[in-house]
Amino acid sequence: MSSPLLSIEHLAISFSHPRPAVNDISVSIGAGEIVALVGESGSGKSMTARAVLGLLPDGATATGSITLTGADGSETPLLGVGEVALNKVRGRRIAMVFQEPQTALNPVRTIGWQLREALRAHGRVDKAAARERAVELLTQVEIPSPEERLDHYPHQLSGGQRQRVVLALALANEPELLLADEPTTALDVTVQAEILALLSRIRERTGTSILLITHNMGVVAQVADRVVVLQQGDVVEEADTRTLFASPQHAYTKQLLGAVLRLPEPDTRVHALHEVDDRREVEPVVRFDGVHVAYGSRKRGRAFPAISDVTFDVRAGEVVGLVGESGSGKTTLGRLAAGLVPLAGGEVLVAGEDLLGASASRRRELRRSIAFVHQDPQAALDPRVRIGDTISEPLDIHDVGTRAERRARVTELLEAVRLPASYAARLPHELSGGQRQRVAVARALALRPTLVIADEPTSALDVSVQADVLTLFRQLQEELAFACLFISHDLAVVHEVADRVAVLKGGRLVELGPVQRVFAAPRADYTRALLAAVPAPDPSVRPVRADETPDEAADEDGLAS
Amino acid sequence: MSAEIIIPGELDDSLDPTQHDVRPQRRRALTQGRGLVGLVLVGIVVVLGFAAPLLAPYSPNEQIPGANLLGPSSTHWLGTDEVNRDVFSRMVHGIRVDLLVVFLAVPLGAILGSLVGLVTSWWRITDVLTQRVFDVILAFPSLILAIALSAFLGPGLWTVVIVIVAAELPVFGRLVRTSLRTVREMPFVEAAEVVGAGPLWVLRRHVLPNSLEPLTIQLAVSMSVAVFIEGAMSFLGLGVRPPAASLGSLIRDGVRTMYDAPYFAVGPLLVVVALVLGLLLISQALAESRRA
Repeated sequence: MSSPLLSIEHLAISFSHPRPAVNDISVSIGAGEIVALVGESGSGKSMTARAVLGLLPDGATATGSITLTGADGSETPLLGVGEVALNKVRGRRIAMVFQEPQTALNPVRTIGWQLREALRAHGRVDKAAARERAVELLTQVEIPSPEERLDHYPHQLSGGQRQRVVLALALANEPELLLADEPTTALDVTVQAEILALLSRIRERTGTSILLITHNMGVVAQVADRVVVLQQGDVVEEADTRTLFASPQHAYTKQLLGAVLRLPEPDTRVHALHEVDDRREVEPVVRFDGVHVAYGSRKRGRAFPAISDVTFDVRAGEVVGLVGESGSGKTTLGRLAAGLVPLAGGEVLVAGEDLLGASASRRRELRRSIAFVHQDPQAALDPRVRIGDTISEPLDIHDVGTRAERRARVTELLEAVRLPASYAARLPHELSGGQRQRVAVARALALRPTLVIADEPTSALDVSVQADVLTLFRQLQEELAFACLFISHDLAVVHEVADRVAVLKGGRLVELGPVQRVFAAPRADYTRALLAAVPAPDPSVRPVRADETPDEAADEDGLAS
Repeated sequence: MSAEIIIPGELDDSLDPTQHDVRPQRRRALTQGRGLVGLVLVGIVVVLGFAAPLLAPYSPNEQIPGANLLGPSSTHWLGTDEVNRDVFSRMVHGIRVDLLVVFLAVPLGAILGSLVGLVTSWWRITDVLTQRVFDVILAFPSLILAIALSAFLGPGLWTVVIVIVAAELPVFGRLVRTSLRTVREMPFVEAAEVVGAGPLWVLRRHVLPNSLEPLTIQLAVSMSVAVFIEGAMSFLGLGVRPPAASLGSLIRDGVRTMYDAPYFAVGPLLVVVALVLGLLLISQALAESRRA
């Protein structure tokens, strides 16, 4: 590439308070190139993309230069120019795709209307031509029966299709550059895989450059040509994707890559491994017996089955991973075990006793042995209660020990989750996300539960923090030997912590088995599809593309990892 | 400022700069910018009211021989009224009436309203019933309510207090109910329930502290409205009864004698402006600190 399409030079963005969001970032994107901006939260990756289109929040000041070079060699500065100049570029030459397809579309207008709006916003197009182009765009993003879809509203589309429509909107005016800010983060893995493949194909078909912002190394490995690694507002490393994954230079890159959890390769030998049925005659900690859960009012006859006929148990000291995509009912099942959801059929037995059928006081007793860790530690901790009080709350409620004993227990628990005892006096906002989740774990362990239900405990955290919390969680589990129902959409995470896996789809249990067997030799088609969809954090195991002959060396790499 | 502690050997993300402590934030909101201006304005009026007996050169109802509708002078800072009373003395004493209204009637309405909202929102039937009653009360402009109530109770200071309590009660009742409902759905409330906390525990430890915060902002807004209601009621003759003075009744007297003594109404008007503006600035500063 002679001259880059977009070049960002020495971009710095600061708010009045406290440190600059972007310190010194230079990135250049060539024509037809996919460049990934990678970094954890606070690295400045989104701010950089927003600066390109002048979408910085109020109070932000940016210095440096951003230049867009046209095919004819004309240079357009983008930083420090007025709204009028930016509007000529926005949507027409550079388009943006946001993370959440739900909010990016207008819910009260049809898809067709929104596409026509996007076309008309930049130049007059007559109605028939606009419709034709809209169909063409939907075809381009591979939406089936595009003619019909034009008259549909966003709520009639699935999440993945919505994101396709958002892409179509962005492509409406054939932009030279697409800024995609975490375009697949809100999507399920199988859908994510489709959208990523689509992004690559769009680039091939239209020659559009893409600046992909993501925190997911797997996504990077799958689609990017070049990677720019950001850390706290600075570029720490920039390299060709393969080079970066093969030999990362900077310590932070190594750490990022090291924190990525990998799935095992499919292994045919495991087929031979017959499942040992070691169902000892001990009572399981929790047993779901033909469980049904329905949402919605049954009186109005519109009950929607969230869980249908699920049977499995969690034995003492074992970690069962509960896997599924959104809407699979995995969270509902977890909440059911904690007694937070009404049961429509079947039985939930906690230590052999019917949890929901028990008297209120007995249920309270049974619940004592069950702890729950929420997904978002920020929301699960009362912002006004000090950490120490939050951790001792279960002890206070059940009146365990004397005050001094409780305080000692809090210190002990903080130590167990590797936090200094002085943190007891802090408020939740004074802690980082990872620290908050440690506090949530400490609190869950306060009553020495026999069962911990962890609902996506790491999905709100950055990768490196996630790795930390997982390691800690595993250590604690081994040490204290509590049983655990570990709910996650992230297969790699489940592989890391679980002994057995239960795969849910549409409220039904599709597969249940030891973790090695399920990951290496899945029996259900759905499990296989799920596993295949996970973007491998390895650029050499990309799905083969039409224009690219896979080189043998790379293939061998893929098998070796 | 708490120092950031980095645990050796630990890998962890840095503190999120977007998270602020609410409390110092609030303190800051009231000690700088418009919050400070508001606080100073309200402070001046409060001091004037509290120090009334010391500041007033005359007793508020004392008739000074020969001093009829005088303009401002060194002896009568704001002049005298038609029955020879010193306006400044009447004004500083009148402020006390407004302070009573602001700092007694509004908190009373807020407390009663919050209690009603809190208790009734627990059951669906009482919730719907009270909310509909609130709708009815809120449908009346407070002045209509004032006229209607004083028709029953007769004009007077306590009528003003009752009107303000009645007008503010549904405002707070509704606000508490709304924020209760929001907070009750928060994950941290569920987290407490999961570890076995009963409804009272959850209410006391988590729901109440987190739902009461928006009330402080409403309190400041309602106080400024109360000053306004008192002024309007006394202006219409529904408030304090002569010879007692309040800011509203002074403004009324001032307007009546506007052609003979144009300066008369200026003092009380400025005080009302200072009080209302000050309270609104405080509420804005508080609201902003919450949003930040």
